[in-house]
Amino acid sequence: MSKAKAGLLQGTLDMLILKALSPGPLHGYGIGQRIALISGDELKIEEGSLYPGLYRLERRGWIESEWDVSANNQRAKFYKLTRAGKKQLIIEEQNWERLASATMKALRAN
Amino acid sequence: MSRVKPTVDFIHAWQHPDEIADEVEAELRFHVQMRTNANIEKGMTPDEAQLAARQSFGDFDRIKNSCCEIKRGLPFDLKPMKMGLYIAIACIAGGVALVTVNLPHHNPFSVLWQLTAIAVLMRAFLVGRRKQ
Repeated sequence: MSKAKAGLLQGTLDMLILKALSPGPLHGYGIGQRIALISGDELKIEEGSLYPGLYRLERRGWIESEWDVSANNQRAKFYKLTRAGKKQLIIEEQNWERLASATMKALRAN
Repeated sequence: MSRVKPTVDFIHAWQHPDEIADEVEAELRFHVQMRTNANIEKGMTPDEAQLAARQSFGDFDRIKNSCCEIKRGLPFDLKPMKMGLYIAIACIAGGVALVTVNLPHHNPFSVLWQLTAIAVLMRAFLVGRRKQ
């Protein structure tokens, strides 16, 4: 398998952020860490690009944020999924599975 | 219900732009600080750790501005509303054109309304195509 880390497809970042937040609230740095963890460190995300993505999702009403104290006793902004965000994650997962399955079918065709 | 908070945030962002900029900056600085700490734990010197953290984060000011712009952006998509507006205008223009079609042919209002209706319908069609 290639050692090169996969770049992100357009629109995938939103789905990964929603997925990373599904177990519970996290701050931006934690979201980046969780995405790296659940992808086995295969998906490379520009750290800064995470934040415009978070703000866009918040504007759409899929996540919401509040300031709290982090584990190392610093003030941090924590994000969590809204009910609309949970529904959106299910839609995104279904769309992704359909796309992946169709792509695999196309690649296996003679 | 999920649109209420984004709308309140949008109004707040326009009323207090400096407060929003400070909040975004504090959030981004927290990230860089956390990355710096992680780099120090990996064995880097504090200066090396901070430099590496800034590099891996990217252009701080550009990202900060981008976040502030999103905060000040409308909390809903204007495109469907714009398309709806064109369709409504096209329907009104088309309706008036149908009413005025029975007026004497030399009546300037009849011709004007029919031309307007055609122009608006074409514009709506082009906007619709671009949206696809």
